[in-house]
Amino acid sequence: MTAPDPNAFSLDINDPDDAELIEYFLDELPEKIEIINTAKAGDDVEALSRIAHQLKGAAPGFGFPTIGSAAEVLEGSLKEAGGSIQDVEQVKSEIDSLLALCQSFIDTNPFA
Amino acid sequence: MVDDQTLQSDETPVVLLVDDSQFVHRILESRLRSESIALIGEYDGQAGFNRAKNELPSLILLDLDMPVMDGYETIRALKEEASTRDIPIIVLSGMNTSQDKVAAFDLGAVDFVTKPFELSELRARIRSSLKMSALLKMLSQKAQIDGLSGLFNRAYFDHRFKEEFDRALRHGHALSMALIDLDHFKSVNDTYGHPAGDSVITGVAQIIQAQCRNIDIACRYGGEEFVLIMPETTPEQAMAVCERIRLACENKSWPQHPSRAVTLSCGLIGTEDGSSITSTPTAILESVDKCLYQAKQAGRNRITGVYMSGTPIDISKAG
Repeated sequence: MTAPDPNAFSLDINDPDDAELIEYFLDELPEKIEIINTAKAGDDVEALSRIAHQLKGAAPGFGFPTIGSAAEVLEGSLKEAGGSIQDVEQVKSEIDSLLALCQSFIDTNPFA
Repeated sequence: MVDDQTLQSDETPVVLLVDDSQFVHRILESRLRSESIALIGEYDGQAGFNRAKNELPSLILLDLDMPVMDGYETIRALKEEASTRDIPIIVLSGMNTSQDKVAAFDLGAVDFVTKPFELSELRARIRSSLKMSALLKMLSQKAQIDGLSGLFNRAYFDHRFKEEFDRALRHGHALSMALIDLDHFKSVNDTYGHPAGDSVITGVAQIIQAQCRNIDIACRYGGEEFVLIMPETTPEQAMAVCERIRLACENKSWPQHPSRAVTLSCGLIGTEDGSSITSTPTAILESVDKCLYQAKQAGRNRITGVYMSGTPIDISKAG
């Protein structure tokens, strides 16, 4: 997966208000990645659903529609997976894609 | 003449955001900054409900999917509580099936906005809800105010007296109430004309409002009758308030009939311990009406008071 161009934010990084939101979201991302990793390791479907739901709703508003879409796909799959994702390879790979996507934004953080 | 806190004010409306996601708080803080609102926030339904009760915001933005107490339960709690029942609620939710929307509207939400937000739409919906609730509030206030005197009207009194009665009973607070009637008012109308009579009603209303305290609720009960609810006020304190009103009225000079003073008679009832009340609001009204009748019989321009237990109040104890 190639790192997305930071200019792909759906907000205008040159606008102070927009930039503030982008920066805030990027600052919060490592903690979200941590939560996703912990939940994945513990097969905690409820925690995964909660964070996917949250990212789906929030990411687009902060200029990260691709994270929003990836989270939406994951939320849908988690609903179908039921109580455990241990044997559901597709869900695991969706989680990994979401994580990779978040990480790529962190790696190219223009505020870092 | 109704005090500022009950009248629609020009203050910046307070909007309460209840959502468990800090992202939503952050983005709305940023995106609503240019709106003329004060945004306050809570992160779960229970805390949101408590905050709403304490601060009585003009509008609540409410998430559905939250820990501790979800959005549906929160709406239910807000609608059951008298003080928060009329606050409009806009549901913000990532759950956007028709079923979710219908459930939220059925519980009493006024609007539903799905996440991720279209921000210009959310702003427009907030503005529209605030405007609608301000208009409704103004209408309901107009419906509670007597047009001539500017005091609260009879309908408001009926409802508010019952509320204060229940509150005194529940918390054991003191409670007093006075029924005031102008003496020989008909002769003012007959002698100087109805406009002069109207000026007397307005003038006495101003005296009552000026002489009572902020916590008192002054209402026009009917023609030349006024009623004053005095929450958390002992009968002795209430007697002092009524005596000030009686004296101010007696001493007022009227431009349209300088040589004709206007006096009033007053019936008063009260208790210093609401938990000891054994009577009903209707029976209390009957008792205070009897007191007023006795004040009239005894020569007018005076106050006759009785404790809710039935014992007469000694006027010399007023103070």
